[in-house]
Amino acid sequence: MATINPSLASDMLARKRWSSSEKIIFRIAFVYFFLLSVPLDWKYYRTVFSINWLNLSYGDIFNLAHYSPQFFAQDSFLNLVIILVIAIAITLFWGFKDNENTDYYTLYYWIRVIVRYRLAVGLIAYGLIKFFPLQSPLPSISNLNTQYGDFSDWKIFSLTLGVVPEYESFLGLIEILGGLLLLHRKTTTIGTLIIIPFTGNVFISNLAYGGGEAVYSFYLILLALFLFAFDAYRLYSLLGLEKPTVPNLFHPVFKEKWQYFGRLGLKTAFIFFFVILFGFKTRSGQKYGSYQYPKAAGLTKAAGLYDVAEFKINGEVRPYSVADPVRWKDVVFENWATLSVRSNRRVILDSTNVEEIHKDDTDRNYEFAGSAGRHYYSYKADTVDHVLTLQNRNKNYPADKFELHYTRPDSVTIVLSGLDADRDSVYVRLEKVNKKYLQTEVKRIGRRGSLKL
Amino acid sequence: MATSNFNSPDIAEEVKVNADSAGSGNGSETGADSWPEWQKILFRIAFVFFVSISLPWNGEWYKVVFSIDWTNLHYRDPYDVARFGSGLEIFGRTLFGNNLNGYATYVITLIFAIAVGAVWTIAVKLLKNEAKEYTKLNYWLRTIVRYRAGIGIIGFGFTKLLPTQMPYPSLGLLNTDFGDFTLQKIYWLSVGIVPWYQVFAGVVEIAGGVLLFFRKTTFLGAVLLFGALGDIVYVNFAYDGGVHVYSSYFVMLSAFLMIQDIPRIYNLLILEKLTIPVNYYPAFTKTWQKYSRIGVKTAVIGVFLFLFFYLSLVNFLYDPYKQPSTAGIKQLRGNYHVTEFRLNNKEIPYSPQDTVRWQWATFEKWTSLTFRVNKPTPLDLSNGGGAPMKDISRTFELTGTGGGQRVFHYYGDTVNHVLYLQDKFKAPSGRELGARDATDLSGAAAKPNKKKQDKKDLPDPNWISKAAWANIGDEVKKIDPRAASTRRDREFAEAPKVEKRNRMILRYTTTDGSRVILRGIDQNKDSLYVVLDRVKKDYVLPKSTLDAGKYD
Repeated sequence: MATINPSLASDMLARKRWSSSEKIIFRIAFVYFFLLSVPLDWKYYRTVFSINWLNLSYGDIFNLAHYSPQFFAQDSFLNLVIILVIAIAITLFWGFKDNENTDYYTLYYWIRVIVRYRLAVGLIAYGLIKFFPLQSPLPSISNLNTQYGDFSDWKIFSLTLGVVPEYESFLGLIEILGGLLLLHRKTTTIGTLIIIPFTGNVFISNLAYGGGEAVYSFYLILLALFLFAFDAYRLYSLLGLEKPTVPNLFHPVFKEKWQYFGRLGLKTAFIFFFVILFGFKTRSGQKYGSYQYPKAAGLTKAAGLYDVAEFKINGEVRPYSVADPVRWKDVVFENWATLSVRSNRRVILDSTNVEEIHKDDTDRNYEFAGSAGRHYYSYKADTVDHVLTLQNRNKNYPADKFELHYTRPDSVTIVLSGLDADRDSVYVRLEKVNKKYLQTEVKRIGRRGSLKL
Repeated sequence: MATSNFNSPDIAEEVKVNADSAGSGNGSETGADSWPEWQKILFRIAFVFFVSISLPWNGEWYKVVFSIDWTNLHYRDPYDVARFGSGLEIFGRTLFGNNLNGYATYVITLIFAIAVGAVWTIAVKLLKNEAKEYTKLNYWLRTIVRYRAGIGIIGFGFTKLLPTQMPYPSLGLLNTDFGDFTLQKIYWLSVGIVPWYQVFAGVVEIAGGVLLFFRKTTFLGAVLLFGALGDIVYVNFAYDGGVHVYSSYFVMLSAFLMIQDIPRIYNLLILEKLTIPVNYYPAFTKTWQKYSRIGVKTAVIGVFLFLFFYLSLVNFLYDPYKQPSTAGIKQLRGNYHVTEFRLNNKEIPYSPQDTVRWQWATFEKWTSLTFRVNKPTPLDLSNGGGAPMKDISRTFELTGTGGGQRVFHYYGDTVNHVLYLQDKFKAPSGRELGARDATDLSGAAAKPNKKKQDKKDLPDPNWISKAAWANIGDEVKKIDPRAASTRRDREFAEAPKVEKRNRMILRYTTTDGSRVILRGIDQNKDSLYVVLDRVKKDYVLPKSTLDAGKYD
């Protein structure tokens, strides 16, 4: 029903002037979102200066994009609250000095520009490492041979996404699309309509699965809500009240040539750096595998699951046993230089789960983070003298080391013998198991087929 | 929809005038201008298509609905009312022999709609009786689609709001390696471990559905539905979940409901023009019209929101439909190492490579014994859904799971300490697979081997004596009386099917439950002697914070 509000025109004229409560709320929001979006936290510049700008990697750009103010506490909602208090304090001060000529429309426009670009960077960064499925890689062989109950909930979340790279790419695409829509003033609100449910779901997932990005995703949602607020009433009026609705009337004017070209230049530079360059760097980074796993190559043609056919400690034979506290049950050689051992020995968890892209293999803890049931060792292989030097990767076991001589009598057998950290002698004969994984077998025959496994 | 060029507040006066003349006010009946030809043709096609998929045209549905006993309901009763994919099936479910990944019915329906739309267009032209617009018909079409989508999604949502659709993993599943699951299982489990997230997903789906019941919130509901179900379609493709067709159905319905408002939003936000929404609403002037509108709406909301909620709550509390609901023997529950294993009185030592010996064993909190043997076994790759009433047919704990896992259901005679065990695996027939996925009927499943049907091969129907049955009790009455329903009674009253399942009869002895000894006859009629020692497993995975079922 088209009913025309007779006071429509005067309404619109009235909106030219802001009421004093509107002004106060706006001032608080202005300061608050300025403090949230502009990287004022000096700790951020440690990242900026530690980057080799001549040889940028996608990890560097990701870490640059992953900013949130952490003035008062590491990864805590406290930051967001204290900054709000500060914003209110600053607003009080500003209140006394308010100038009747302050152009709130223009201020609103510019704070939106800052928030739009800040949010876009954050989304595109996460979108790209999903689009090229790096964030949650395919499970490692060790992960496949770990009991479901031995994983933390967050680890299961990531493994569950990791088994379907094409779905992860799709999610990345949605995130990138949301980010790109923010780069244009008129499509911003449509972008937030994608971002709020998407990032809202990320936030809820982080809460539900005990993820480490709850604060950061909430921070992104705050920015998106602020952007959405601009058109929220208009959408409510159009769709809820079904009334004639006046669009935004403010358009920025760039009169001077330098303004015009300056805007164009900045926008182009932004898109070049955070979309095109970042995109290419991520794509070329993809061929080295996920940043979650170590880079150093493992022993050639050794990758796989091994049964521990023979196990001796200080010369004493330990037969197969489900309950033996020491005996190894099975061993995995990964494609990279990691060896993992399943045994009854307890694992104190490493439960880091904040997204960071590390360059050094020692910092890449994804394969064992949030995962018990197996001990993970990085190894250095001396292929001349046939010696493996093992070091437990978990930071809770710095003393857990092995010095093992290895022989490979045939293609499926590896014999390890040497000393552990307590100078006990260890002898292990490993036989490769032809393990078939249901995920891959089902793909071969289809879920409607019949399978024996 | 009337729009006006308007870019400066200075011309507000002028706009007022424009807007006034563009709007048609309250007076006219439909308040719409005539539609362009293409819009009318598209509408005719859409009308036929959406009426075809939104109303139940399938005889099977009516049979199910009319057999419902409304005086003694089960949650699955309104669920069955709400769940139909529809579309026209009188032309078959395949197009040139191809079921198009399950979408053939919709493609056929669309072809039919285009044909009818063409005939309709030609007919009105020939009869020179062409309507200027279809505003009124569009209103009623939207009403049908709104209610269809709303009711349907609420049916889905309640099994998440009261989290039974994706159960928290059983002990047997927790003890299974990640590599021994199908993708489908991995996804279902990943939601099952976070019941509160499942509740949240249920809230989103139900909220989306409820918003569709009201005209002014339809767009919001449709957006919610479109986003949530769009994701679910993709999830089903990625994880091979088997519900891609039915979730796509809601994406189509919600997309249709969004169409009307998208040009307006485009006009307002992108073109930045004054936007005047013109919607037609029928005026219900007669008393019977007013009352029937209120009556229908109240009935729909009453049945599909309040009654459905209550039934789902009962199901969650006493009879979660994907897990067995009879409590298992308390002193047996837990994880065990298999310390000793004798077959025909010959001890078999533990070795992970042995293909006969049990590797570990678990008694669940319900009536299941799970153990692992390192020997390939046929797997059930369905998603373990449907609405079977008997515990033995509730297979979520074994579907999509390999690794040598065997799951046996038991009837426990607690007086004589005897377990009557039956393998929960049964090769699913194509029809059963179809029924499980409801919209996915490709059904190329393995048929049970029917080579030998000798008398002596048929299972002995009297393998449990009358005396033992007296101690075991009647399964139909094993759940809380508040969860009793006609549906349950009927299924138990049906004559037992002749199913060939592996069976074992084992006597158990235990003093305090830390050591359990099982002895008896296994599925190969060999004598079995097993010593189980309880182990306390500390799982890293947090325990469920919202447990379904009652097992105390």
